[in-house]
Amino acid sequence: MAGKKFGIIFSVLIVVGGLGYLAFGRFGENLVYFVTPSEVVTFGSDRYGKKIRVAGMVVEASMKVIPETLKIRFDLTDGDKTIPVAFEGVPPDLFKEGKGAVVEGYWDGDQVLHSHMIMAKHEEDYMPIEMKQAGVKLPTKGLIKTLKVD
Amino acid sequence: MLVELGHFSVVIALVLSFAGIITPLIGLKTRNATWVVVGRRAVLSTFVLITIGMFILIYSYLVEDYSVKYIYATSNSKLPIFYKVAGLWGGHEGSLLLWAWILSLYCALATLIHWKSQPVVMPYLILIESIVLTGFLMLILFLSNPFERIFPVPLDGKDLNPLLQDPAMVVHPPLLYLGYVGLSIPFSFAMAALFSGRLGEEWLKATQRWTIFAWLCLTCGILMGGYWAYYELGWGGYWGWDPVENAAFMPWLVATAFLHSTMVQEKRKMFKVWNLFLIILAFSLSLIGTFLVRSGILSSVHSFAADPGRGVFILGFVTFMLVLSFGTLMIRAPKLRSQIKMDSMVSRESAFLFNNLFFLVALATVFVGTLYPLAMEVLEFQKVSVGAPYYNAVFMPVALGLIFLMGVGPYIPWRKSSSENLKKLFVIPMLFSLGMTGLFFVAGVRKPYALAGLAVVFFVLAAIFLDFNKLASFWAKREKSNRFQGFFSAYRNNPRRITGIIIHIGVLVMVVGIIFSSMYQTEKILIMKPGEEVNLQAFQLRMANLYGVKGVNWTGQEALFDVYKEGQIITQMHPQKRFYTVSQTPTTETAIYQTKMGHLFVTIPEVAPDGSWARVRILHNPLVLWVWYGGGIMAIGAFMNIFRRVRKNRMPVTDPAGMVPEVSANIPQPTR
Repeated sequence: MAGKKFGIIFSVLIVVGGLGYLAFGRFGENLVYFVTPSEVVTFGSDRYGKKIRVAGMVVEASMKVIPETLKIRFDLTDGDKTIPVAFEGVPPDLFKEGKGAVVEGYWDGDQVLHSHMIMAKHEEDYMPIEMKQAGVKLPTKGLIKTLKVD
Repeated sequence: MLVELGHFSVVIALVLSFAGIITPLIGLKTRNATWVVVGRRAVLSTFVLITIGMFILIYSYLVEDYSVKYIYATSNSKLPIFYKVAGLWGGHEGSLLLWAWILSLYCALATLIHWKSQPVVMPYLILIESIVLTGFLMLILFLSNPFERIFPVPLDGKDLNPLLQDPAMVVHPPLLYLGYVGLSIPFSFAMAALFSGRLGEEWLKATQRWTIFAWLCLTCGILMGGYWAYYELGWGGYWGWDPVENAAFMPWLVATAFLHSTMVQEKRKMFKVWNLFLIILAFSLSLIGTFLVRSGILSSVHSFAADPGRGVFILGFVTFMLVLSFGTLMIRAPKLRSQIKMDSMVSRESAFLFNNLFFLVALATVFVGTLYPLAMEVLEFQKVSVGAPYYNAVFMPVALGLIFLMGVGPYIPWRKSSSENLKKLFVIPMLFSLGMTGLFFVAGVRKPYALAGLAVVFFVLAAIFLDFNKLASFWAKREKSNRFQGFFSAYRNNPRRITGIIIHIGVLVMVVGIIFSSMYQTEKILIMKPGEEVNLQAFQLRMANLYGVKGVNWTGQEALFDVYKEGQIITQMHPQKRFYTVSQTPTTETAIYQTKMGHLFVTIPEVAPDGSWARVRILHNPLVLWVWYGGGIMAIGAFMNIFRRVRKNRMPVTDPAGMVPEVSANIPQPTR
């Protein structure tokens, strides 16, 4: 009987171990870090080409649509530092100049954030009034922190 | 005044639900049933009172009373009536009220249905349900009151979030809550079993239908949410591993594991502690899911505000429930040893064991993926997010394993199976699966996971067919009828099994849909001017026109596409870009054309200010509807299971062995 019990426990361990390895063996690679433009500008070459999410505000009047293509260029700021973004694809409905956005992409040697995905922040209109008031009072750093992925 | 009446009745409901905690406790202590009767009246009146509160709120929506802050935030006079009512669960406060109402509904129904048949359980059921209800009513009344007024009274409401103005979104939250909260009934029975020491199979038998009903609602709710995401958010997919989706998916995973493992306890009296653990875990995950979505920790369409007070309260409440339930389980578990050991690796028991293992690995994966980023943020390290590759790496093998078990578990005998038996059962399905997979390979399906998925699907299909055939001919011979009638006799004699297999067939259909729509999706994104054409697969789309349109509460632009196939015009499609004027929100409206085997999916995410061009996204999603067809079959199976007729002719109603739980002799009577 002991042998059978061992067999069951052994196969359970193998299955759990195998699946656990699939999940967590490369867990680090599947993580995408949120950073601010201030952090991005300090990136060394070791972080070029790694997927990141950058939260910030789209600078007013910085958006340039390149005609006849799906490319858009704009600047993203956290109030301190500003970075250029080269985006190709379909921006979300709520993506606007002067509004918050989370841009997923990679920073490269040309000092541009290359992106294919943007997540825009929902309008504050869907928050209760006291939150809206509180939101106005938030300092810039806190504001970036409250930006979350939709 | 009416709104204050509603508010007042919910306040009384809180007081009565508190009474629902106290009275059964006194009843248990003094062994006086009168107190339990009082408790029952308390929970029944609670239900009536919350119903009054809710209907008054709905009435206020209909008469456009914007002096109520919550109505002001989630409604508008221009909204169609349908969405005015749905505004109730369009925000935080009303959703919680709906949650509490559903909880009190379940509690009232459970006390009415089981009052005579399960007298021992009743005080515990009233107690547990009242604890949960008190928590939620306190949250509603003290931290997120939907009855609050504002002054000065606004002229009009701020409008319901346009993304939620959709039929699927009207039914999605109530269904999901019916699922979440429905798990509280088997949870309460499990707690009653733990407290009272009546730890036999009775509680499982009494709650089987409740569990499957909750599971049915959860399944439909999740699928409805996926369908909404598919056509309303316009990104062409239905599942994004969003934390909010995960919050609903986690209890579903555990509830599914529970539905399977209870069968082992019913038939073989094994997995006793495990089943208690699973149902406690499932309901705890419902509460955690509510915490994740409602505390505002996750920001998305679902969470409306980040109010730390609410978050702390819900977290505290969830922690209390976790400690209470898992604590009781830990104290009681040592008394619950199953006397029967597993006989063999090759048995139905071990198939169920691995089924549960896979489900729990899946749960652990989702749990870590959802909570790791939150933990990282709370600990002030760094903000991270976990992407789809992480989930897919685990879910694809887990899904393959689970589907494979669907072809093994229901057919392999209990205890031990001989190799001859295995051959008889599984050689034909294996060969069939190999042959069909080969056919698909020749037809051009080359992705390894798609082939592996199809292989297990065909294996299970053949196993199901063989079994149905065997059952049908057995009953046909016995009743001297044809196989068709034989199959119906088989159904009448074991409806639970057949309905279970119907649910499995639904899963297979869904899996085929998922394989093809996710792995063989084709996409084109481009800028188009009226008159231009584009090809995708066998289809040719010509943008015939681009023009302005106007709705009740929105304005927008619409593109007209002529769709050709083999030179013939087959349809016209009208994707829109809308701008909701009240809430100042743009949305993208998808146009979908159903082809024979899939969907043609067109959106115009951006239109030039002068209307001369539009950004166009075209997708071909093969077999995508099979995902929801499969869901529909699953729902039918679950529905038939709930409303199956109880067998009368085969077994005597009273089963003396089942009356006395076989472990009760070892358990001291509760010393309350």
